[in-house]
Amino acid sequence: MALENVKIDAANGTVDYLNSKYIYVSQSRDLKIDRSLSYVGIIIDGKNADFTRMVVKRIRGNQNSEIYLKPIIILNGNAHRDVFIKTLIDGVIFSFDQIPLIHEHVSTINNLTKELTVINSISFEAMVVSKLLYFMFTRELKILEPVPYALSNTNYSFPFLACNFNEFEEYQVLEILEVAIQEGLFKHKFLDRIYLCSNCKSSHLSFREACPKCGSSHTDTFDIVHHFPCAYVGPITDFTNDIDDQLNCPKCSKKLKHIGVDYDKPSVLHKCKNCDNRFQDFHVKAKCMSCTFDNPVESLVDKEINEFTLTKKGESYALQGYVSTPKDIEDIIGTVKFDTFKTVTKYEVERLRQTEGSSNIIAINIENAGQFYAKVGSNAQQLLLKDLVGEIRSSIRSSDMITFYSSSVILVTMFEIPTKISQRIIDDILKLLEKLIKNNFKDLVIEIKANVHQLNYNLSSELQINQLITM
Amino acid sequence: MNSLDDFFDYVASMGFERFIRIFWFFVFFELFRYMIIDLIVLTIAKILKVLNRKKTKEALYRLNLEQPLVSIIIPGKNEGKHIFKLVKSLREQTYKNVEIIVVDDGSDDDTPTIGRDMERNGFVDKFIRNEFRGGKASAANLALRFTNGKFIVHLDADCSYNYDAIIQIILPFYMDSKIAGVGGNVMVRNYKTSVATTLQAIEYYDTISIGRVVASQLGIYRIISGAFGAFRADAMTQIQGWDIGPGLDGDISVKIRKMGYKVKFASDAVCLTSAPDNFKKLAKQRLRWDKSLIRFRVRKHRDVFYPSQHFNFSSFFSFLENITYNIVLNVKWYIYFIDMVFNFPHELTFILTMNFFLYTCTNYFKFLVFSLYRTEKNTSISYFLLYMPLMVIYFGYYLRFVRSIAYIQEFFFKKSYDDPWNPPKTSKYAKELGL
Repeated sequence: MALENVKIDAANGTVDYLNSKYIYVSQSRDLKIDRSLSYVGIIIDGKNADFTRMVVKRIRGNQNSEIYLKPIIILNGNAHRDVFIKTLIDGVIFSFDQIPLIHEHVSTINNLTKELTVINSISFEAMVVSKLLYFMFTRELKILEPVPYALSNTNYSFPFLACNFNEFEEYQVLEILEVAIQEGLFKHKFLDRIYLCSNCKSSHLSFREACPKCGSSHTDTFDIVHHFPCAYVGPITDFTNDIDDQLNCPKCSKKLKHIGVDYDKPSVLHKCKNCDNRFQDFHVKAKCMSCTFDNPVESLVDKEINEFTLTKKGESYALQGYVSTPKDIEDIIGTVKFDTFKTVTKYEVERLRQTEGSSNIIAINIENAGQFYAKVGSNAQQLLLKDLVGEIRSSIRSSDMITFYSSSVILVTMFEIPTKISQRIIDDILKLLEKLIKNNFKDLVIEIKANVHQLNYNLSSELQINQLITM
Repeated sequence: MNSLDDFFDYVASMGFERFIRIFWFFVFFELFRYMIIDLIVLTIAKILKVLNRKKTKEALYRLNLEQPLVSIIIPGKNEGKHIFKLVKSLREQTYKNVEIIVVDDGSDDDTPTIGRDMERNGFVDKFIRNEFRGGKASAANLALRFTNGKFIVHLDADCSYNYDAIIQIILPFYMDSKIAGVGGNVMVRNYKTSVATTLQAIEYYDTISIGRVVASQLGIYRIISGAFGAFRADAMTQIQGWDIGPGLDGDISVKIRKMGYKVKFASDAVCLTSAPDNFKKLAKQRLRWDKSLIRFRVRKHRDVFYPSQHFNFSSFFSFLENITYNIVLNVKWYIYFIDMVFNFPHELTFILTMNFFLYTCTNYFKFLVFSLYRTEKNTSISYFLLYMPLMVIYFGYYLRFVRSIAYIQEFFFKKSYDDPWNPPKTSKYAKELGL
């Protein structure tokens, strides 16, 4: 690790170390993101945190995996102290001499990146989840933690995810993470709760007590005094005078002597200096500092802030990619939700217990879905799934159901039918599907396999579905 | 059979002079004051109503043109369960320019939650809470501070109102600029619940409602019901709201009179209330009401009888009539009873039977004839006919007995200051100051 191995090309803004080239980005150089493709890593001048944040966001927010997974090193400065930047970078050096210190780490990241099967997801949401899974895989991260960040519109930021959104859309990060939890990609642990503006979903709110009539917080507060002997009730100012500090009842002119004995203060009164409204209870309002909308607190949107831990399922998706969210495939006509499929199968098992008939469930697997999805775009993926469902639907009875377990596994019910006939139907379906794929995607080889499982009323439906999926 | 024959023989042989001698109480007080005078005044009132049709129409026009803001105040403790129903009935009113202010006087149930919720959802304009109970007067006075209307309407939370009740109670203010207080016509909602409520319903129809029409016509109307009363806001400012109760509704009517204003009864402004459903509860209520007669008429406002800056004849006669026909008459009845026991001991059974017969006949007559003068009723009067004979016992004995106890308790022991209806912390001072 000698200094002589580090060669700086000031003219091109590159640094060479053992034939591995790093690109150097500073404020004085115009960054063309695409240029970074041919380098092992990006070194950013960290003197100016704003500049560094902007560059890091552009890199991590890119949709090309070769760019957003590229190792980023900060040189000099204090930029890495910014928690947002710190979460997104892979190392800090204080001079080019220190490149040998981080080079191995950079190489590891690049090697892990090469292991990935990068696919194109159907939707933006699925793509963001895929990006996150890839990033965590290449950085060998198991836990995704939010960082309290004043510059974030949600106050807590998940920096890698936030890079995919502009500041006004950052709340969508939380929605995407909810999808990931529902899909079982992450386990979550509650950390905190935030409240978002009902208008723009910003968490930059100013809470204050306001007049219920005009919303102004410019108010005065008085004690209400009740004079027992004459039942006079009024603000304490009614009882005071300019001459001495005695309290005299304006109704019966008697001197108030002793609180709790001849008078008490049963409540308070607030007076709005803006509209003269008199009231007892303030409305608590939350003024949004982003869009200026004055929210009644009841209308604020509350969101949980969690810490996320990658599950085994999440880890496997990190390698093969996450094609679609449940919502993406639920939209395909002719299918039912996976939960509905499970419920119907459960009832069928119960029914079989009484009738001892023959019912089957079938799993159709697209074996090399990852490769396929990596090669074709989102529209083509959706088209394929629609065509597959259409073809299956035309070959089965209208009472049978189709659902997506994932973008590569389709489940079908075939109740009240002998297993042999089910097998025959499914063989015919597979032939039709192969033909369909051949006609539509000529250059691609897609392997589709199917397993037929006869439902056993002695076993739970859940178990049998799981067995079928993992067959 | 013999007894009945004896009774008829006794009546037939009595003669006019002897009849007057024995039934003087009935003839001079009951028949003269509560039937003949009532009938005459009711007839005059009816004629005047017809003659004043144009004036009424003009007043209604002016009222509709001006559309003044009416502040409806509802003070009470633990009334949360009634508020929603009440507010719903108020929202059905033909008169819409109202603000509804509910004051919770230190409730210890769900009233604060219900009230706040109703305020948040716009069912009431203001919900104000006193953490410590201060009594009805202080709660009403607190509500008064929050009002913005030209007229203040005071309601009880457990009542409901005819759809045109608000406009009917405001209308008299536009007929005479000297009117500063108007009482609504309270009727019994739960008249079928028990005998007690049925008898009260008859009493409200005749003695209270008709009595108030007569009193109002004579200019001696004296109690603007706490369940439904309307006041001019400027007059309320002058008299500085309500004083400590019980009986604060009668008290405030006197205070308004003493300021030189008139108080009127609006028989078309109907309010339905839930009357006590047994005689024990009723006795408690009436003890409270009757004690306040001594406390306010005889003590607090006795200056009405003295020549002073605020002296006026209508207040003078109002008090005089009130005291004569309630306190004096009550005492006279006992004198009558003693007179009968000592002077006619052998005829006592016949006298009592005859009295019962006379009163029952009069009650039937009044009930049926007064129906011609009643503009509002909440059910068919035929339902009550069967119960009329019981009115003699109810009115002549039960209520008279309760009234007598109340007068003795208040006159000699000032018991109204111990009534739990008002918190002791306030009653203590009211007693000391003779308020």
